[in-house]
Amino acid sequence: MEAGERLDTLPKLLRDNYQRHPNKEALRAKDRGIWKSFTWKDYYENVKYFCLGLKSLGLKPGDKISILGENKPQWYYAELAVQAAGGAAVGIFTDCGPDEVKFYVEHSDSVFVIAHDQEQVDKMLKIKDQLPLLKNIVYWEDKGVWNYKDAILLSFDEVIEKGRKVEASEPRFFDESIDRGKSEDIAVICYTSGTTGIPKGAMLDQKFLVEGARTWGLLDGWVGKGYSYLSFIPGAWSVEQVIGIAGSLFADMAVNFPEKPETVQENLREIGPNLLFYGARLWEQVNRTIQAKMIDSSLPRRLIYKICLPIGLKVADLRSEKKKVNLLWRFLYALAYQAIFRQLRDRLGLSNVKVVYSAGAAVSPEIIRYFLALGIEIKLFYGATELGAISIPREGEIRPDTSGPIVPWAEAKLSEDGEILIKSKYMYAGYYKNPEATKAKLKDGWFQTGDFGYIDDDHQLIVIDRMEDLKGLAGGKKFSPQYSEVRLRFSPFIKDVMVVGGEGRKYVTALINIDIENVGRYAEQHRISYTTFSDLSQKPEIIELIHKEILRVNRTLPDHARIKTFVNIYKELDADEAELTRTRKLRRSFVEERYSDLIGMLYGEKEEYAVEASVTYRDGRTGILRTTIRVNQVEEEKK
Amino acid sequence: MLRVEGISLNFGNISAITNVSMEVRRGEILAIIGPNGAGKTCLLNCINGFYRPQSGRIFFLGKDLTKIRPHIVAKMGIARTFQNIELFTGLSTLDNLMAARHMLMKRGSLSGGLFFGPARREEIKHRQSVEDVIDLLELEEIRKKIVGSLPYGQRKRVDLARALCMEPQVLLMDEPMAGMNVEEKEDMARFILDIHELKATTIVLVEHDMGVVMDIVQRGVVLDFGVKIAEGTPEEIEKNPDVIRAYLGEEY
Repeated sequence: MEAGERLDTLPKLLRDNYQRHPNKEALRAKDRGIWKSFTWKDYYENVKYFCLGLKSLGLKPGDKISILGENKPQWYYAELAVQAAGGAAVGIFTDCGPDEVKFYVEHSDSVFVIAHDQEQVDKMLKIKDQLPLLKNIVYWEDKGVWNYKDAILLSFDEVIEKGRKVEASEPRFFDESIDRGKSEDIAVICYTSGTTGIPKGAMLDQKFLVEGARTWGLLDGWVGKGYSYLSFIPGAWSVEQVIGIAGSLFADMAVNFPEKPETVQENLREIGPNLLFYGARLWEQVNRTIQAKMIDSSLPRRLIYKICLPIGLKVADLRSEKKKVNLLWRFLYALAYQAIFRQLRDRLGLSNVKVVYSAGAAVSPEIIRYFLALGIEIKLFYGATELGAISIPREGEIRPDTSGPIVPWAEAKLSEDGEILIKSKYMYAGYYKNPEATKAKLKDGWFQTGDFGYIDDDHQLIVIDRMEDLKGLAGGKKFSPQYSEVRLRFSPFIKDVMVVGGEGRKYVTALINIDIENVGRYAEQHRISYTTFSDLSQKPEIIELIHKEILRVNRTLPDHARIKTFVNIYKELDADEAELTRTRKLRRSFVEERYSDLIGMLYGEKEEYAVEASVTYRDGRTGILRTTIRVNQVEEEKK
Repeated sequence: MLRVEGISLNFGNISAITNVSMEVRRGEILAIIGPNGAGKTCLLNCINGFYRPQSGRIFFLGKDLTKIRPHIVAKMGIARTFQNIELFTGLSTLDNLMAARHMLMKRGSLSGGLFFGPARREEIKHRQSVEDVIDLLELEEIRKKIVGSLPYGQRKRVDLARALCMEPQVLLMDEPMAGMNVEEKEDMARFILDIHELKATTIVLVEHDMGVVMDIVQRGVVLDFGVKIAEGTPEEIEKNPDVIRAYLGEEY
């Protein structure tokens, strides 16, 4: 490397690593039960020969290749190789069917497809005749593919072999090709799923990856600490591109590849990574696993858990409210940590985690609060494929309900409708072959995220929902029913809830279905006598209990979205009566119609109402329920 | 490579197999099919030495197998899987597979226990072979799980892996697809084909579900009440009137 030359592309960074410490460990992959290490030299040489091999097969600068596989070193090699040749990589999710794969390969004009194994090769062989640009399919796992005779197929090693031959005749080519790389070169095309219409390919340039990752890594302090990272979020996703592929190239971070998608949990424990990205669903699953395991564990252990968890939650709350944790609580927390949290974290493979990410609005605050109690700070950041990370919670300032403050390299503002608009130093380079969509997304220099949210007094970004899932109010303002419902449902006392609003209504209200089991237990503990579900639901103490839960959620909502009145429904919402789907999703319009009387009350003057309702029992008989239902006002909280 | 010559097996007055002859050729996948109680498993048990037929002889690579005991038969290169899965339920998948390689190990328990020098090298070599099988049959995620805790479909796969770890020349499989759903059956069929292609193992399958089996075998032998009623390619067997009668009844 010449002095002063800028390391502004990923291949340049790779070469730099190779020159500085060729024998240092760069990647680790588990194969046949053993973790195998790959040094920077291995990494560099694989990239080099694969790049030269592809060149001999006809890869030209500006060409695209598609990569269709699980996270493995070969994924990284292939991407860096095509970038070194001046081309771009396209990641495809492995669970796509042949038609979807065809769309991505065709739309991106890929000339090579790097496929993982027999499963992916089979998909490609099915569609290869419809792809005139496709030159070769390269696979890296030969199991089951060994007696395929198709001439279009090449193994990864065969390409490497070809590359070695090219090296002999053109020893300078690879270096020169890397030198030609510029920070504006398109490095990857990430297709956004898009809930409506066909997917759009966001083009990300080298600057987006290199600088986006560098600034992010410095902000969150995972650069230069010798961290290890477990790579298992799909490479087709821009997060893996930035953290895994780009991040590991300058952050001095070893990347570990799990043996199989199914063994991630086990491998996690073996590696004990320091940096981790889990999707929202995975956090929920981990949480559920703990709960279930705890129920099955021995009595003393259950007791310890029962005593320690509230201590953890209390300290977590104090910390996120930025209050001081006094000595007594600190002492108790240290005890609780030693007694159970430490072991729990070890079991989950989370004992060494330092920086933990999740993304999207879908992680419930309760989950974040729970892990905070275990001493794990989940940073629920907000970002988009086109923008990179936009807001990231800072260390020690995790608040369960927000996505943290806006990052220094971006600006955010809200449109009149409450849509989040973003300007960032590191933006994507437009949608591939779709200038109209690119234009439509950008208004006056601001990128329209399509997400609804707001920024609170603490400068924290709170993302609520997709714009299209919102409901309006009479005043023209919008709110997200699901947002409130998800949060209300986390109360153990609320089993189901429907938040009501809509055009023509002045404020937001809620129909609450209490959780008979937990509320019943609460009633027992507080010596509240009751007869039936409907009786219990209308007890003043229970109404006060629910009232408190609503206040808790209201606190996280902007004024207009706060629930003003609510009513406890006199019976349970039931899938047998078509109020819920079989998977317990609300059938909104049906419920709204069925309980139109109650909803009328919520917006009316009347405080009490005698309801007669027919119920269908499981055996088919019908009966009549008579109850007096009260509408309950939610008190306004002073700010 | 395996020849059965006119064997008969009786339990008291009940004859399970009557004068059956057949031949397994090197490198083929052969199915022994027939309705329940046709004597398919009995035939397998005769081949690997669990039962001694009253008459007839069995030859494997020219050697007479008829009077040889099961563990010797296994050592000669005939491995089998079981209809009811025979594994050490208290051990992990890995330990089960390592145990299967026991007969290929040369070191004694003392040097093995000391785990030093040649014994250590041998253990590592065997572990590598076991890992190859784990990779082939996609058992990575249950490598360290106790077999007793595994669901049925996975146990079936471990049972097959155990047989494969013995590096057999002939693999006898007793109803590998019994009790499986369609997807598991397809997986199993794929594994069988993979094994056949990769290791060139000769495979003998016993099945009563003709549907799946006929797609993957080269030849079939049909038994009915202990008597061989047909032999040939899948197409020949499907057209054979005796087979149709045995499976579907007289009136068809």
